Amino acid sequence: MLEARLAKASILKKLLDAIKELVTDANFDCTDSGISLQAMDNSHVALVSLLLRASGFDHFRCDRNHALGISLASLGKVLKCAGNDDTLTIKSEEDGDILQLVFESPNVDRVSEYDLKLMDIDSEHLGIPDTAYDAVVKMPSGEFQRICRDLSVLSESVAIDVDKEGVKFSAVGEIGSGAIKIKQGAAVDDDGAVTTVEMSQPVSLTFSLKYLNNFAKATPLSDTVSLNMSADVPLLVEYKCSEIGYIRYYLAPKIGDDN
Amino acid sequence: MSDSTVVRPHALFRSSQCTSKMPQTRSASLRSATARSSTPPPDDSPPSQVNSLSPSPSPPPALSPLDTEPLPGSYFHPSHVPITPCTASWTHHTPVPAALANGEKACLGVDEAGRGPVLGPMVYACAYMPLDKKDELAALGMDDSKVLKEEQRDELFKLMESHGDWIGWGVHACSPQDISGCMLRRAKHSLNALAHDTTIELIRETIARGINVAEVYVDTVGPPASYAAKLQTFFPGIRITVAKKADSLYPCVSAASIAAKVSRDAALKGWKWVEGVEKVFTRRFGSGYPSDPNTVKWLNEHVDPVFGYPRLMRFSWSTCVKILEDKAVGVVWPADEEEEEGADIRGYFAKKDTPAPSIPRDTLLSSFKHLSRV
Repeated sequence: MLEARLAKASILKKLLDAIKELVTDANFDCTDSGISLQAMDNSHVALVSLLLRASGFDHFRCDRNHALGISLASLGKVLKCAGNDDTLTIKSEEDGDILQLVFESPNVDRVSEYDLKLMDIDSEHLGIPDTAYDAVVKMPSGEFQRICRDLSVLSESVAIDVDKEGVKFSAVGEIGSGAIKIKQGAAVDDDGAVTTVEMSQPVSLTFSLKYLNNFAKATPLSDTVSLNMSADVPLLVEYKCSEIGYIRYYLAPKIGDDN
Repeated sequence: MSDSTVVRPHALFRSSQCTSKMPQTRSASLRSATARSSTPPPDDSPPSQVNSLSPSPSPPPALSPLDTEPLPGSYFHPSHVPITPCTASWTHHTPVPAALANGEKACLGVDEAGRGPVLGPMVYACAYMPLDKKDELAALGMDDSKVLKEEQRDELFKLMESHGDWIGWGVHACSPQDISGCMLRRAKHSLNALAHDTTIELIRETIARGINVAEVYVDTVGPPASYAAKLQTFFPGIRITVAKKADSLYPCVSAASIAAKVSRDAALKGWKWVEGVEKVFTRRFGSGYPSDPNTVKWLNEHVDPVFGYPRLMRFSWSTCVKILEDKAVGVVWPADEEEEEGADIRGYFAKKDTPAPSIPRDTLLSSFKHLSRV
């Protein structure tokens, strides 16, 4: 059986918000090292990979590996019933067809139990190869979210150029064009959060803003986002969530000439 | 010869232009006009095929049996309305009336028919006559085409034709194909903009034919004031009146509305399917308004899951879009998707054989271990 307890239900709520626009149903793969999820969006352009390590849970027990097929919309509805500060316990049997969720309020005077029906989901599992990226940009997640949102008014795609000095996001559209340049080491917001660039060679890639905006829904999970890029391989956008794990998005670059 | 237009059952929706259908009754006054250029057929037969500007160099070929097939009921088909498929927009102007030939001041009315319907052409018409004959026109019994019965409209139209010595008119029919094309192309053109452009073009053409237009009356499309201001910038020397219900207020607008309505009715009743679907498609599409039960019935009965509708339809209408979404099969354009969003991510990552439930722990971990570097 699986039994896992999270100190705060809000973590799972945020994780769900970060993937439910992209993926409708997915398998949560449970092993004794934690819970993971890998899924692609409907058009197979983006891949999301999520990991919650066993060590990040208050209590974690998984006797045998199994997958929980879950409708993310349904899980989202049930999670709405949990308070952000509630502790969350999930339980399931290996051959059962339900997932049990228990929410306990902080002073344990309210205990709610929900059973969610599980689904059989066929999913393609992809092996993600070891990649040493040519450029890794770490920047405040709020800044990344804003850049993607702002450039969406101009175009459906954004060109990301990384060089020694920093990173440039630019978009060209019918009404005009725009570019946002973030210098390495410069504080871009009030928290003093800094953008850093590690690179072995400059990269210049173009991506769909629709997807990047979807990825940016993970912003509440982490103050920092890292963009990992190499020519001709998918972009990796990673949000680490506290001690427990991460959410990673992979997006294939746009092919053809980037306007 | 005529074999070329006989329906081939296996090619119901073939989109070829039937080259043997030449206009029989029209002459050089018919102009294929503006919008043809927007969709030139790719590799086409001689330019003499549809609505060509010049009279046919050779005598028109004999009609195929389908062209002579009796139309439902008998109806009045004015000679200026082409009997060829209405794929391209067309314009027709009457000869200059004798009374206006030497610069006599004229008043001109513009009105439209078939703006709202989901199918068929939208027809704009202008009618003009000497300023001092306005009352005479009213005496003929001109009125808003909407309050007249069909036979009355036909009679009044014939009356207008018989007074060709002082009444002139022009008609521009926007083909459904051009309307859809305008409204759906990348830089979209609204129906209002199309209406304004067509009106302006009709007035311009009339002036170019030597008519001394002094007053223009237009039934409004959108707010009257801004429309009047727009027209005024194009025609500075002319007194412009834009009004709601102009077709019942001003006899020249009434005359235009009759010319427009009669032309649209004839175009619809004599509709030729360029797709060659005479044997399976009826022409009982009613008025074409989305609120008309006959139209709704026709729309529901004639939708093809793969080919959708013939070119009679205005594909930019939400009524049409909705039915196609509900009743026709979806279309996936893989090339567009890749271009828009990005390539298929599966092309970058190897597929794993092991399905989810039985993933050995090491495999799962190793796929993450190497990535935890960042």
